[in-house]
Amino acid sequence: MEEMGSRVGGKVLQLSRASRMRTKLQTALEASSLEIEDVSHQHAGHAAMRMRENNNAGETHFNLKIVSPKFEGQSLVKRHRMVYDVLADELHSGLHALSIVAKTPQEIGPNTK
Amino acid sequence: MSRMFPKLLFKGISGLPAARSSRNASGSIYHNGMKYSTTVPNEPDTHDDFKPTNKLENSGLSLKEVVEQDVKDNPVMLYMKGVPDLPQCGFSSLAVRVLKHYNVPLSARNILEDPELKSAVKAFSHWPTFPQIFIKGEFIGGSDIVLNLHQTGELKEKLKDIAVHE
Repeated sequence: MEEMGSRVGGKVLQLSRASRMRTKLQTALEASSLEIEDVSHQHAGHAAMRMRENNNAGETHFNLKIVSPKFEGQSLVKRHRMVYDVLADELHSGLHALSIVAKTPQEIGPNTK
Repeated sequence: MSRMFPKLLFKGISGLPAARSSRNASGSIYHNGMKYSTTVPNEPDTHDDFKPTNKLENSGLSLKEVVEQDVKDNPVMLYMKGVPDLPQCGFSSLAVRVLKHYNVPLSARNILEDPELKSAVKAFSHWPTFPQIFIKGEFIGGSDIVLNLHQTGELKEKLKDIAVHE
């Protein structure tokens, strides 16, 4: 997919949203595992997307799997809020939807039932 | 599955102020704000995307108050893209599918019809994406969380006293 990875936009090498997201999440939440998948193509035709097609082609919908010790003791809502807070700038600049799986290292550990 | 209880699922929001659904000075109609399974399109040739944006400005309620009222009056309140019978987004569709497993009245507003309502809901919940689900006044989250609560059995627990017994 063309929107994956870095794009050369004329003169400037622009970082993809996915890589910006990765850096921000890694830094702020000290993620021990992070998977980011751009699924924008699956939503390309849907109602809300048609309006912005020209602005921001692609990079609107992502699946995110993140494991962070900072989620320890936090409810799901709180964990999602933590992710949204870190990505606030992206959400204001065209990031449209995130599917989030947020776990603690313990929850994915070998001892989990 | 949902075919089993078609009538009960989409209870109207009857408790809302009448002004919201009435004709206002400029002649626009809010279409009752909500669409239910039984709703017949008022103007068959008007697609949702092209309808005038109906503001709630003449209702006497601010949008914030509208949202507060929605959430207070409706045991299960969804702000979504599209309507429960025709969601316009996969995440909204997922949330509806999950909630339809339970025999509870769903109330929903289509935020695609009203950008200002959309902003008001975001500000109210401090949550940036849709759908947003509220149960008995409590903000639950989006489709990921609803699905998760469904899988862990917590959703059943939350909804058990509002399930419609037949």
